[in-house]
Amino acid sequence: MENKAGISPMVQIENLSVCFGSTEAVRNVNLEIARGEILGVVGESGSGKSVTALTLMGLLAESGDIASGRVVFDGETLAEAGKPRNRALYRRYQGQRMSMIFQEPMTSLNPTQKVGAQVEEMLRLHTGLPRQEWKEKVLGSFASVGLRDVEQLYDCYPHQLSGGMRQRVMIAMAVILHPDLIVADEPTTALDVTVQNQIIALLREINQKEHNAMLFITHDLNLARRICHRIAVMKDGRVVEIQSAEDIFENPREEYTKKLIQAVPTRVRCKTRTPKDSQSVPRPVLEVHGLNVYYQEGANSLFGRKRKRCVVSDADFVLYPGEVMGLVGESGCGKSSLSKAILGMNRNVEGEIRHFSTRPQMIFQDPYSSLNPCKTVGWLLQEPLRAAGHLDKSLQMSEADMRAEACDMLRRVGLDESCMHRKPSQLSGGQRQRISIGQALITRPGFVIADEPVSALDVTLQAQIMELMQRLQEELGVAYLFISHDINVVYRMSDRIMVMKDGQIVEQGRTEELFASPKEAYTQLLLQES
Amino acid sequence: MTQNGNRRQVHRKGNPYLWIGLFMTGTAVLVALVGAFWTPSSTTAMSAAERFCGPSLRHPFGTDNFGRDILSRVMKGAGSTIFISSLVVLLSGGLGIVVGALTGYFGGLLDEIIMRFTDAVNGFPSILLALVMISILGSGKKNLILSLGIVFTPSFVRIVRSEFIRLRDADYISRARLMGVGRLRILFVHILPNIFSTFWVSVMIGFNNGILAESGMSYLGIGVRPPDASLGEMLSDAQGYLLRAPWYALAPGLTIVWIVLGFSLLSEGIRQNSGEASDGK
Repeated sequence: MENKAGISPMVQIENLSVCFGSTEAVRNVNLEIARGEILGVVGESGSGKSVTALTLMGLLAESGDIASGRVVFDGETLAEAGKPRNRALYRRYQGQRMSMIFQEPMTSLNPTQKVGAQVEEMLRLHTGLPRQEWKEKVLGSFASVGLRDVEQLYDCYPHQLSGGMRQRVMIAMAVILHPDLIVADEPTTALDVTVQNQIIALLREINQKEHNAMLFITHDLNLARRICHRIAVMKDGRVVEIQSAEDIFENPREEYTKKLIQAVPTRVRCKTRTPKDSQSVPRPVLEVHGLNVYYQEGANSLFGRKRKRCVVSDADFVLYPGEVMGLVGESGCGKSSLSKAILGMNRNVEGEIRHFSTRPQMIFQDPYSSLNPCKTVGWLLQEPLRAAGHLDKSLQMSEADMRAEACDMLRRVGLDESCMHRKPSQLSGGQRQRISIGQALITRPGFVIADEPVSALDVTLQAQIMELMQRLQEELGVAYLFISHDINVVYRMSDRIMVMKDGQIVEQGRTEELFASPKEAYTQLLLQES
Repeated sequence: MTQNGNRRQVHRKGNPYLWIGLFMTGTAVLVALVGAFWTPSSTTAMSAAERFCGPSLRHPFGTDNFGRDILSRVMKGAGSTIFISSLVVLLSGGLGIVVGALTGYFGGLLDEIIMRFTDAVNGFPSILLALVMISILGSGKKNLILSLGIVFTPSFVRIVRSEFIRLRDADYISRARLMGVGRLRILFVHILPNIFSTFWVSVMIGFNNGILAESGMSYLGIGVRPPDASLGEMLSDAQGYLLRAPWYALAPGLTIVWIVLGFSLLSEGIRQNSGEASDGK
């Protein structure tokens, strides 16, 4: 890259390949980051973006080997193929001149230490600053990352802080020594969308103020567009395209990049859907009136005092057959509690829930934990039929019928019969989620709750799964309650949307209307932020 | 990716624990099985002329204080020790699954009571408890199995219960409930197969403890009675002649070590293999 200032770039990764055993995780990657530049690395999970970052930071796992190329930081070669790792050399740079922000702020802070002391650790290790000045410096860096009440915060433990605050502490720790390079590995993925934007703004601000180089790793192309100057797209360990952020969106060169951009759910593409016949009001599949949901605290101990905590208050809505109702809100707002109450998994409720369909089902977020790992796909698909037959003798089916039904469902969710005898561990995340959907729909329930069904998936898979759910809905006429924290995903799927905040449904209405003219301030905020 | 690489390496090397463990337990079980039907000489025939013979071609492990062939008695004794230990594990493991599954899955007051009871049982040394039970029930093979089985149950209950607690709120179990699957089917068809790798390891450890406990009890003279042979009973007899005929104690002692070590290795091998399998989730 031609550097504008004419000086050598801060970081050069030249022809880097990294192997784990016989698998090549990173192949011939060339990247350069100039001072004051934010370089985005975008790719799906397993594309090698994190391995690249870890290699750059000198944190590559012991089982990984640099097969070719080298890493140059500010003119000095830190790692090179064929040479043993020089940990002492790296230690001079790690923390002091290059620092890293991780995805999960809860696990990257030590839960048993006060956050002030943890940030001080950086000063203790890397500076000759006298002890008396540590606290002042830490408080200053807390303030610089937009934290308030820094004096109190200094003595807090990580669990006393919110996710956003923890991530700010992590950032304070990363910038306190004014490093020349900051590597941010999915720093906002674990955060709610409103917090996400604050963190992005903060990182931009730090970059402008400190004029340092930043490597920003994300799976979210939209996010990268908002913060990065240049974006590198990675796939299967290779950089397939590298361009400025505007160019990559306006004229992507590679097919894969185009696919990624298209897969990002946006509000531009409106869902084409025949409007429901407004003359006849059909019988609903679900009515919820004045529902309060409680949680028992201390319910697990024999002698502990039990307290009721209200997590959902006064929920009120109706769901009609063949309709998709979106439910959107930040984590902890009570979305999942509401869905559990509706399905009778939490009986600690007040109010009225009326089902007009048999055995509503649920699709979970994590495709890795929602299928029984020791059963085959065929067994898993047949189990709902067996259970139904057991409960109601008129629904009993012969083995052959059940197998035929399972095959049919397998085809409907886009998998072929060879999957029948596989176990979930032999399937990919997307395939598992397909099986999950098939399992939920095989008894033809009138109504299914989908709790963040695409949140754990890569963006191209997300689009496929949403398409699949829409197609199945049209084929089978099922109604969905579609829960997500991502308002764009909900927009794409839903006929109507409910917005939830702090256990209350603050707004509900038809999708187009709600997006065109949101009434509540919170809805407006959500729409702006994403 | 890191995991993939590691896993492949493990596969290439194979699993030495598993293979050595299988070999050792396999030979022990084979010898015991043969011993049940055929032994080189009679296990009870005494011969005053051949008392305390050292190892020879005729008596590879020597003879004991009654001139009986030690090899034959070890073969028979290993059989009865393994048999007793197997039944003990079967009994306590079966009880453990049923009680652990019910208390773990349903929880509540019954769980609380049973757990406090098992805490109390665990508070005593197991041999002591078994002794108390034997003194109530009377000695003999059947009562030995029964009392050891009951004494061993709490440890199985604990393991099964904690696994059931871990899995009862798993997403796939919630889904099974939503499908309308019956409770017993959830317990024993949906959850139970998932705890097998953990349970299997504890069965192996329990089996080893069973062998040691049986030997201990027979050594104390309240297990297998002469003229029947068991490894512990032989050790007990041998201790009076440790200096005069060291081979007498050595043969059953080494056999115990062989069996216990074999099963330890086997369980470690199984643990590693199932650990790999669950990594691949």
